[in-house]
Amino acid sequence: MAVDPMLQGLVAGFAVEAQEVIQKVTMDLLELEREGLENDALAKIYTRLGRHLHTLKGSAASLGLQDLGDIAHRLEDALAPLKATTQKMPRPVVDILLHGLDLFMLRAQAHADGRGDYLPDPAAALAQLVASAPPPEAAAVLPGGAFAQAPAQAPALVGPGPSESGAPPAQEPQGESADAGWRVSARQVTSLMREVERLREVRLRVEERSRELERVSTLLAKQGLLAETAEARTLLSGTGRSLRTDGEETSDIVDALEEGLKAITTRPTRTILEPLQRMVRDLSRQLGKEARLSVVGAEVSLDRRLLEKLQGALVHLLRNAVDHGLEMPAEREKAGKHQEGALTLRVEQQGNLLYLEASDDGRGIDLVAVRRVAEKRGLVTADELARLNDNQVRDLIFSEGFSTRTDVTDTSGRGVGLDAVRATVESLQGRIEVASTRGQGTRFVLTLPVDLGSSPVLMVRALEQFVGLPMLAVESTQLARADLLRVGRRRAHLEHLGQLLPVVDLGARLGLRASTPPAEGQPMLIVQSGGRRVALVVDAVVGDRDLVIRPLPSEVRDVAAWQGAATLSRGELLLILRPDWVVSDSEKAQVSAASRRALVVDDSLTARALHRAMLEAGGFQVHLAASGARALERLAADTYDVVICDLDMEEMDGTELIARLRDKKETRTLPVILVSAHDSAPARERGLASGADGFLSKRECAAGRLLAEVLDVMSRRGSRA
Amino acid sequence: MKGTPRMVDEALEEETRDLLARRAARLREQGESSVEEAVHWIAEFPLGEERYALPLESLRAALPLRMVTPVPLSEPAVIGVLRFQGQVLSALSLASLLGGHGWRQDPAVLLVVDRGDGELCALDCEAIPRPTTLSLASVEAARARAEGPVMEVFTQDRQLIHLIDPKRLFSVSEAGVRHGR
Repeated sequence: MAVDPMLQGLVAGFAVEAQEVIQKVTMDLLELEREGLENDALAKIYTRLGRHLHTLKGSAASLGLQDLGDIAHRLEDALAPLKATTQKMPRPVVDILLHGLDLFMLRAQAHADGRGDYLPDPAAALAQLVASAPPPEAAAVLPGGAFAQAPAQAPALVGPGPSESGAPPAQEPQGESADAGWRVSARQVTSLMREVERLREVRLRVEERSRELERVSTLLAKQGLLAETAEARTLLSGTGRSLRTDGEETSDIVDALEEGLKAITTRPTRTILEPLQRMVRDLSRQLGKEARLSVVGAEVSLDRRLLEKLQGALVHLLRNAVDHGLEMPAEREKAGKHQEGALTLRVEQQGNLLYLEASDDGRGIDLVAVRRVAEKRGLVTADELARLNDNQVRDLIFSEGFSTRTDVTDTSGRGVGLDAVRATVESLQGRIEVASTRGQGTRFVLTLPVDLGSSPVLMVRALEQFVGLPMLAVESTQLARADLLRVGRRRAHLEHLGQLLPVVDLGARLGLRASTPPAEGQPMLIVQSGGRRVALVVDAVVGDRDLVIRPLPSEVRDVAAWQGAATLSRGELLLILRPDWVVSDSEKAQVSAASRRALVVDDSLTARALHRAMLEAGGFQVHLAASGARALERLAADTYDVVICDLDMEEMDGTELIARLRDKKETRTLPVILVSAHDSAPARERGLASGADGFLSKRECAAGRLLAEVLDVMSRRGSRA
Repeated sequence: MKGTPRMVDEALEEETRDLLARRAARLREQGESSVEEAVHWIAEFPLGEERYALPLESLRAALPLRMVTPVPLSEPAVIGVLRFQGQVLSALSLASLLGGHGWRQDPAVLLVVDRGDGELCALDCEAIPRPTTLSLASVEAARARAEGPVMEVFTQDRQLIHLIDPKRLFSVSEAGVRHGR
């Protein structure tokens, strides 16, 4: 039958609108079945519910969708007696109303897809609704009693297709097709995002040019030629003002473009989290358990594609939590817990990292059972199992085919779930971790990169390395004071608001220097992540910036310290630290104090990298310095077993550095090897005459040769080697 | 007497004609063979005392080695990260990737290379590479012989070129990284 395209468009629009209204009605129904609501609150919810159902009925009727109008009418009828007495809604009634909403939405979707003519007669389904509906007097006086059989007729959680007795409707509405708009590919939008980021960089460069102009004006003024340069300075000043205005306008355009792109490509996480309330409710009913899901951070907006991929993972985690994690109500009461299990989903974005936490207050992971099942299913051998610590055993639950269930149920036992969750998270370049305490509950934390929009970053320096920290992770900054520091043999602690926080030296944590307690007045940041806090010692706090953090390339993506990089005004990149890495236990990561230490001094970045690679391969802990002056600073603070130094450097060359070292008692006998790009006899003679213990041309620094020379020189000097 | 010089001239002319004809034939042969022989374009550069090359089609740009941000705690072959056309790329030490190599002068150039999997990265280099060709047949033969990421190919004048296969180079280095963790 030919359908008027305009009417079809209206029906499609109605389906989208209906989905939103039904979501609200669902949330209200779940609220109504909870204990402990005041009468006023109940009355408000009933009023809102009635209004929503009436809207559905009216909208359906106005489009000639009689079947939908009838369903909405029946739902209103079912609600009426309860509304009149303002009481908590019995669960069986909630079941029936939810079932009716599913029915409504499935048919609305079919009408929107042009399949309305092929729908079965709604009479049978309506009759079932009528039959199940509470007689007014019973509903009013017998909460629960008259509908004790209802759960058996409750809709299945997952249905194979759009049968009228089946599943909740698909969550993703056909909004895009219903809107009178354009269809664009993800690639086109991504490409547009990249252009916006480039424009943001241009804006930063414009700011930099403006600052340069100001510097030129200041310089001219300092020349003492005020009269002669007056015209030029006036001109420069005018250009500077124009440049600033242009920069501000560009900034506005970038912000507007970014907001527009965000609106197109993101949606609030609540759009996937709220439907999970219904799923948790239905599943716990099916299993005879009680559960309540709390959602924190649902307002965070995220990339639609990311949300679609995450939805399945979250469903898995919550189903697992209800089925495996939560105990039966009686068991919970016996354990001193509330009979209703608490599930929490927490969403938090820090910089370009998204943290998604799914936790329950159930029985926790039974490590003994995990060990037994893992061995029985051949996931690990008994020998391997014996070597695993508790965390590693816990991670086995992410293995393919793992399930502690001995029977297969509708909900679980097939060994498909957490491995799929991990695969999804890893496909998004994220990671998943689990923490669990027996008898107290389990917490899954998903960490995922998100790459849209700018975020505030605090820029700091450790030695010559500038790095950024997401501002959300920085609680405060302060200067080190000896009276607040507790310096122990292994590490120092800071007394902060009645707590002792571990002190972490950023330079040492990044492997740039050996760890030392902070000097008086040295800047410290109180950094928190996941409930842990540390006092992070830096060499300087540069200031805060609003930066776009981008993911790192694959070669460095796995380095746990970094979450991404952002472009600074001159075009250079700033690495951004992961707060969770900063607060993690640094002692494990520290290199053994017994390892030999080498200092590489070279003004060539690539030469430093190569020497470092060769020496680390030989078991050395390597620190780097880009100039002779920096090397002297390093040597004043740390001790080294050997120095490898470039002969030809600007400012202070290798011979001068050696002369300075030989002048000091502490470094007089320190073995030094000079390297040079000049492979000539005069260069070699010059190097050795300066007091170097060895000389190599860079051509000779092939695999093994540098290391052999280092060991030889150390041996000759009678060093620890 | 007059005949003698004429004869000499004629003989010389004939000799010249022959010479020119031989030269033309030789050039024709060369031209025909160079047209017929398939070639593989490469970007050739020095690494220490040896000559290395990358397939020209994998080369995206040659940049001065500056604005590279070191990445503490990264793998030793990583020099740092840099920005290139709105993307963040890794700069890697080619000498280190090839297993510890000597070099004559400190690299001053970065070659932006397609890794063979659609991603770009930058490799350090002592000098801007020179575009040239290798016989495709010799490249194919070397590829069949080679097990690692570097193929040894001889040029027509018997010079040895170490031709790098980016796809193999990065799959090997990534496997190393994974195993190392």
